[in-house]
Amino acid sequence: MKPDLRGLRLGKMRHWWADTLFKRLFLLMWLGLVASHLLAFVITMRVHAPPGSTAPGIERLPVLPSLPPMGSAGSHDAQRGPAGAPPPEAGRLDRPPPPPDAAQRDRPPPDGPGNPPDMAPGAAPNDGGLPATALWLDYGIRFLAIGLVAWFGARWLSEPMRRLAAASEQLGHGLGNRPGPNGPGRSAAPQVEASRGTLEVRQTAQVFNTMAQRLHEQFDAQDLLMAAISHDLRTPLARLRVRLEAMAPPAQAERCVGDVQEMDQLIGSVLEMVRGRQQGGGERQRLDLGALAQSLVDDLAEQGLPASMAGTTEEAALVVAQPQALRRVLGNLIGNALRYGGSARVAVAATGSELRVTIDDDGPGIAPHQLDAVFAPFYRAPVRDPASDTMACGGDHTRSAGAGLGLYIARDLAERNDGRLVLANRAEGGLRAELVLPRA
Amino acid sequence: MIHALLVDDDTELRSLVADYLVRYGMQVTALTNGAALKRTLQSRAAPPSSSPPFDVLLLDLMLPDSNGLDLCRWVRQTSTLPIIMLTAQGDPASRIVGLELGADDYLPKPFEPRELVARINAVLRRAGAGQRGAGSSSHAAVRVRFKGWVFDRLARQLQSPQQVVVALSSAEFRLLEAFVEHPRRVLSRDRLLDLSRAPGADVTDRAIDLAVSRLRQKLGDSPREPVLIRTVRSEGYVFDADVDALA
Repeated sequence: MKPDLRGLRLGKMRHWWADTLFKRLFLLMWLGLVASHLLAFVITMRVHAPPGSTAPGIERLPVLPSLPPMGSAGSHDAQRGPAGAPPPEAGRLDRPPPPPDAAQRDRPPPDGPGNPPDMAPGAAPNDGGLPATALWLDYGIRFLAIGLVAWFGARWLSEPMRRLAAASEQLGHGLGNRPGPNGPGRSAAPQVEASRGTLEVRQTAQVFNTMAQRLHEQFDAQDLLMAAISHDLRTPLARLRVRLEAMAPPAQAERCVGDVQEMDQLIGSVLEMVRGRQQGGGERQRLDLGALAQSLVDDLAEQGLPASMAGTTEEAALVVAQPQALRRVLGNLIGNALRYGGSARVAVAATGSELRVTIDDDGPGIAPHQLDAVFAPFYRAPVRDPASDTMACGGDHTRSAGAGLGLYIARDLAERNDGRLVLANRAEGGLRAELVLPRA
Repeated sequence: MIHALLVDDDTELRSLVADYLVRYGMQVTALTNGAALKRTLQSRAAPPSSSPPFDVLLLDLMLPDSNGLDLCRWVRQTSTLPIIMLTAQGDPASRIVGLELGADDYLPKPFEPRELVARINAVLRRAGAGQRGAGSSSHAAVRVRFKGWVFDRLARQLQSPQQVVVALSSAEFRLLEAFVEHPRRVLSRDRLLDLSRAPGADVTDRAIDLAVSRLRQKLGDSPREPVLIRTVRSEGYVFDADVDALA
């Protein structure tokens, strides 16, 4: 129900060689213009080469393209006239190029007469054309200028696409963190400016805006409905629970109590999920992860449950995170270990720039092909210990785990806090849940 | 006999809970809405009142005519009647708001009937012990400060002088709560046991000692020469710091 944001995050890991619209446009313009220059030059050479020397002239092209001695390349005669006159050793570099690229013509030479010595080898006048260095410079400037134009052109053209992508990303995050149907700033869907750009761009922006607005409204309605149903179910459940107190035989009533608790857990998880989406889990603070793990374990141990600390860091294990969110994540994981694994051993360790909380149990583990599936909402492990229902009547830690939403919520909260949550079967048996967070 | 005042808009639940509590020797007056509650309490407050006073108020948070939270505040302003809120909105946020507005306890629906009885007894015991009311000014404060630490009773956590959030277990929380309410006074283990009793938790001498050592550890108090929670030989512990209420 929550849009998967993992795909969007990939966009941030874009490398410089990635295939982007910008690069395509840039290459298209740059290669197109460069090719047109070369083509024009080759044709000019062919047509205007001195009689009898056509073949050698073309052979020279790729290595050292030079101008034919005679200055009659179509419309450029006027400019080329004076430039062609001085002898090569004069070092005049502003000789205009033969292809039709008037824009470059007025570009002043970056270095003027400083290079006659360098020109010496190439300066050997090839049929009266430009000296080699001057030509290289000429073509270099041209490629560069074309490149610049193509760069800015491509940026300009791909800009609307990038705005749309940014708005889509916002939409994805926004759906995950809405203020809620009653919250402030209700349904503030991200908008793309629909009054700028070409007709296609404006149409796309309008369609996107409508879609974003609808999505927001639907998610709000869905949350409201889920919250309302869940909430209203609790009053009849409360009635049922009190009635069961007076009911005989006790064995049957006890099972019914278990059912009531299970339903209540489901309602709790759904409400928690809806709230998690709406509130985002509170403000981030510096937090001692070791103290949090210890206090959760202590609470369970006080209730007589087999939870223990198996190790902690020497100095305070500090992270920057939402305290309530982390409490929920660890509570869910430890509750799962107790419920499905029969015990929970919690350890906090530091590795480099990360802190890891591992929760080990001695249960049957999870079949390897299901390690990922258990994170899906409303997924339940196929094998369930019937005794676990009676055990799962404690505090908040077990409440949220009953409906198959516990791990889903835990992973969601972990990722909101820049962490990751991994499940793995231990070699010696049992399951290990690991929460990895960046160190503060 | 304990006289409970129950306010809930659900007729059946009202009679079910009333019947249940009667089995535990309580007398129950059940009301439908906020207006009835106000009327009843005002008539009782009037001087020539022959009827016995209520001992505890069980208040549903969602009433048709008024917001349970507003009612809670109103009751708190006019009397010291202990309040237990019952609500289907079992989320931490509304729990915090409710306790902030003066409720003494909070029970999410559907509750374990026996737990309701236990909570009523616990609230009455606390009220009898004089922990609430005008005498203890720090009770009203949601957050208190001592030696640079901030103790937030609603979020149930500590914030160190370096602004690091330090989570507390329930046992540590109850113990610290007892300490900040009785600063610079020697508290025997028995007294601490009494003060930090909680429904469902089996608190023993050993548990108190363990919680004290954990609390010292979290407060950065050296176990050899503790300055914050000092051991008074053969007497108990003393919380050696000034406690200021924060707004």
